[in-house]
Amino acid sequence: MQAAHKLPAQNQALVFPKAGLLTSEQWLIGSHIITALVALAIGIFLGPFQLFRRAPMLKLQIPVFSYYYQALTVHGVINALFFTTFFIVGFSYFVVQRSLERPIWKPKLAWVAYGLMLVGLLMVMYTLVTNQANVLYTFYPSMIASPFFYLGLVLLVIGTWVVTAILFMTYYAWRKEHAGEHVPLAVFATLTNYTMWCVATIGVAIEVLFMLLPLSLGLIHTTDPQTARALFWFFGHPLVYFWLVPAYISWYTMLPKQTNSKIFSDPLARVAFIILLIFSIPVGVHHMYVDPGVSMVMKTIQWIFTFAVAIPSLLTAFNIGAMLELAGRKRGATTMIDWMWKQDWGNPVVAAQLVGMLMFVVGGISGIINASLTLNVALHNTSWIPAHFHMTLAGAVTMTFIGILYWLLPMIRGRALYSTKVALWQIYTWFVGMLIFGYTYGEAGILGVPRRTDLGSASYVNAEAVPYLNGAAIGGILLLISSSLLFVNILGTLFLSKEPVSGEAPIDTHVESKSPMILERWGFWLIVVLVLVVLAWGPVFIETVNFTSGFNVQGFKPEAPIPLP
Amino acid sequence: MIHIHRLERYWMITVGIVMGGFMAALVASVLVYGVRLPTPVGRVDPTHLENTDLATPGLTQDSEHAYTLRVVAKMWQFDFGVKGQMPKITLQHGSSLKIVATSKDVTHGFYVEQHNVNMMLVPGQISEMDVVFTKPGIYHIICHEYCGPGHQNMIAVIEVL
Repeated sequence: MQAAHKLPAQNQALVFPKAGLLTSEQWLIGSHIITALVALAIGIFLGPFQLFRRAPMLKLQIPVFSYYYQALTVHGVINALFFTTFFIVGFSYFVVQRSLERPIWKPKLAWVAYGLMLVGLLMVMYTLVTNQANVLYTFYPSMIASPFFYLGLVLLVIGTWVVTAILFMTYYAWRKEHAGEHVPLAVFATLTNYTMWCVATIGVAIEVLFMLLPLSLGLIHTTDPQTARALFWFFGHPLVYFWLVPAYISWYTMLPKQTNSKIFSDPLARVAFIILLIFSIPVGVHHMYVDPGVSMVMKTIQWIFTFAVAIPSLLTAFNIGAMLELAGRKRGATTMIDWMWKQDWGNPVVAAQLVGMLMFVVGGISGIINASLTLNVALHNTSWIPAHFHMTLAGAVTMTFIGILYWLLPMIRGRALYSTKVALWQIYTWFVGMLIFGYTYGEAGILGVPRRTDLGSASYVNAEAVPYLNGAAIGGILLLISSSLLFVNILGTLFLSKEPVSGEAPIDTHVESKSPMILERWGFWLIVVLVLVVLAWGPVFIETVNFTSGFNVQGFKPEAPIPLP
Repeated sequence: MIHIHRLERYWMITVGIVMGGFMAALVASVLVYGVRLPTPVGRVDPTHLENTDLATPGLTQDSEHAYTLRVVAKMWQFDFGVKGQMPKITLQHGSSLKIVATSKDVTHGFYVEQHNVNMMLVPGQISEMDVVFTKPGIYHIICHEYCGPGHQNMIAVIEVL
């Protein structure tokens, strides 16, 4: 009698509700998402004000962070490093435990990781608010910030390493019980992403721990800016894929359900993620094409790898395109191209992602242009560059994250989205505003307007570029409206919404994939990545490191041309 | 192996051809049009520029139509021996200019508007570029890497007669 009623304790936890979240999930994932949104609330509004400050007809003082470079640093660091990371970690926990139908490995450790990242955020925010870290989000030495700025970043990265361990241990526990099965694609992509992240962060960890932090603390007195730049970009390019992969997860595995379609090819999606993993790191030199310390040979090699890393995105364009064609056909599309507009534009969850994809087309093409070695001479560090990466980061990535937010936040809160109408207005004002910004800053960049420059008090601005810079302010107004609408909906959903949440989590728990199992040999791919990294980056460091006199550049605070003691 | 749909194969071939075309165009830009990127030419100790070529920055005439411009970038000006808010040099059109530059404090940028000069000036490294100014006009040299509160005013001028 007794034995018949006895269930293994673990099975209780496996019963995830279809809609809504378990209390433990609600708190863990909710904390990550809400922290990400608080960070975003600080970072996002400073964006449009950069445009108002840089428009010659306005030259508006930025509110709160009145010093331009402080505002720019906050915008970059808080949006690009903290908002993204918190959101991605929360989303990864959700994807992994729901897809594998098991709780993550050691949830308490997940809280430790969250604590590390949160303390990191607070430390960095403190240094930014008190003007001790006006070094922008690339923090190139020999310009040096407060040690707390670097410590905060270290804590953020260590937190993500713990997250990686949790996700992989959860996977291996699942694998033990499911020998020979394919892991769901969403988990597959998550694991490629964290593998890439762990290798990539080695670069920035070495830079911060052995160069910047000791210099900032006064333990050492000199540095090597060229080597530091190489270490930063070893990390800096895969960083953008760390943001992009969660968006791809949504496009490949969630959007098919949200559009009543199905994935076109699961195996080719897996191949795309593996190519992304392999080629994401040996490409960072394309951020250093006009650096004096790197040879033409290494620039050429990493340029070719950069073109290789465009391939998974082009495969994705086909795979997702085919999935959307089916969605369009089900909505009544009959001709060769009418499926493109016969989409569910009135559903914010779908519309946000579609709009993100459209911006990604612009971002992808402009990216191939930047990456083209000699064309880069015309564009490096001009306003073309922020125009480009706002199509990718603020387009594809952020819009997809917002699309995810529009179903995930209601699930966390247990209440329906506050307003579909507000969400749609938010999405389309963002789309138009960001395209205006992309176009005008792209044109201004071609004319030679520098990025990261307080044009509002500059002694010279190219007269030909003035109409574009003014036009960008119109985009800024739309983006300001859009950002406000986003937070109206977030606060509304959290505090005002009364209706219960409906709909299911768009998660696959079982997959029929015809992909070869070698794609899931993580140890093997890690070795491939490491070998390629050594071959592509080893010679770069041999070129940049000064073997005869070591570090010989003194540190400086950004405020004054006086070397640090 | 993985099944690849016929249309997807066509797509991949198209992608291959397009990317190949881009690569060919790029090789042509180097071999035919002579676009150059900065490459390693040497290092300096930024605290001891006095014993180097860059001890006395400025414009020197090497032959009738060839000049060398030595520049030391610092917070927040391009030093080539000319005083003023926006220091200026003057060249005859058609003359070639060798630019030799470095930074003595933080990372700066050296970008010449409407021309093919775009270099990072990294402390410890020498950046070098040969250019020819064929068209008369005013060319602004802009620091395009953030270098502190005076960054936006770090501008110089090349006047080509």
